[in-house]
Amino acid sequence: MGADPDPYWTACRRGELAIQRCTACDARVHLPAAECPRCGGTDLPFEPVGGDGIVHTFTIVYRSFVPAFRGREPYVLAWIDLPEGARAFGSVVGCPPERVTVGMRVRVMFENDLPVWRPA
Amino acid sequence: MREPAVQGFAGRAAIAGIGLTELTRRSGRTELELAVHAARLALGDAGMPPAALDAVLSYHMNDSAPSLQVARALRLETIGWHNDISGGGSQTASILGDAAMLIANGVARNVLIYRAMNGRSGTRMNTASTGPQEHFTLPYGMAGPIPMFALAATRYLHDTGLTAEHLHAVVAQSRQNAAANPRALRRAPLSLDEYLAAPYISAPLRAADCCQETDGACALVLTDARLAPEAPRVRAVVRGGGPGCSAMDRAPDVSAIFSGTVAPMLWAASGMRPGDVDVALLYDAYSWLVPRQLTDFGLVRPAGLGDFLLARGHAGVNPHGGLLSEGYVHGLNNVAQAVRELRAGRETALVTGFGGSYGSAALLTRA
Repeated sequence: MGADPDPYWTACRRGELAIQRCTACDARVHLPAAECPRCGGTDLPFEPVGGDGIVHTFTIVYRSFVPAFRGREPYVLAWIDLPEGARAFGSVVGCPPERVTVGMRVRVMFENDLPVWRPA
Repeated sequence: MREPAVQGFAGRAAIAGIGLTELTRRSGRTELELAVHAARLALGDAGMPPAALDAVLSYHMNDSAPSLQVARALRLETIGWHNDISGGGSQTASILGDAAMLIANGVARNVLIYRAMNGRSGTRMNTASTGPQEHFTLPYGMAGPIPMFALAATRYLHDTGLTAEHLHAVVAQSRQNAAANPRALRRAPLSLDEYLAAPYISAPLRAADCCQETDGACALVLTDARLAPEAPRVRAVVRGGGPGCSAMDRAPDVSAIFSGTVAPMLWAASGMRPGDVDVALLYDAYSWLVPRQLTDFGLVRPAGLGDFLLARGHAGVNPHGGLLSEGYVHGLNNVAQAVRELRAGRETALVTGFGGSYGSAALLTRA
């Protein structure tokens, strides 16, 4: 159940992390969806979040299966819990990969219009 | 106590034959040739001519020979019920249920099941799609199942306190079990030092934590149990899933896999208990799936899990080496081993199929 993710990427280009909010039940919804997974609401405007997060889980990629990323290993991929109540995906940068832990506090930043996370 | 809602097909289908081609890294044969070879082996094992088949089922991901081609290649003049089920490891156990339902309902008497793949020399799984979320993960350099299930594994190790030493115990035991299996692709012992010295693919998963990319085919012939009174029975089969590692954006527990949902379904459907299982064929596409399933199915208590693994309490799991060591015919080779175990006198075998937080499980019993 996808939604038009364009407003998400448009906000990224402004340097803003925008996450859907269900106007019916106030739940934050991410990844973008056409209907609220909690209440089924369909009015889900993209609204900015604070930019703080906590690493929920991560992996350090040493052998990439994405050709464009070969030679850039190791790099960290993570799911990030947002205090607003959603979970975002991204890379963790700005520290050696082996320093990343579950529960680590991170802060969003943008690299080439892509939200990435650095230690807070 | 509530009576179990035993499934209508319980005990009415039997596995009369198994067939497994040689497992290699480069078969040099088409998926069709592999499928036909495995099917003939299974038919031979069942003592059944191809013409006796009235149904053919397979599961694949557009990387195999479809059931009709196999039926034609077996020179079946006509074919009854035939289907190509879309999917991978989640189907490993439930395809037994699909066949058993055909048999129990009188739709078919003899059903061929197969999975054929050139998983190393042909279509490899390592860049298989992980779903629509790829729009958000690919730009960061994530593709294929290994980093996806590595993300789940990190959280699993964090939550359980298990470490690389425990994952090693799973892999080393698998190698040890495979040592006596001439079919197995990996039979050499794996010391802890060797394991720890090996590079990660996606931490915490090293190559040894992932199943063997394999060329090969496996086939089973299921028949009406009345026609095969000596053959192992399909006792219960369940299929399902829920929140977990297949949708980490929303799952409360990103390390949850299919077994969290299907294990209670299996005990309810079968009226059996974990203590009844005397051999477990667990879908071990990744090392950490073994302990996760052991506790989900109630075969081991979570409190003692780490010590249990270090003491090799799991030595009886996947006695042929499983997908980690024998090879990876999308799990169906584990079902074939369940049949061998039951023929050798075991009473009850558990077989499972993993597709993230969706999957299947079956209990097979001696005739």
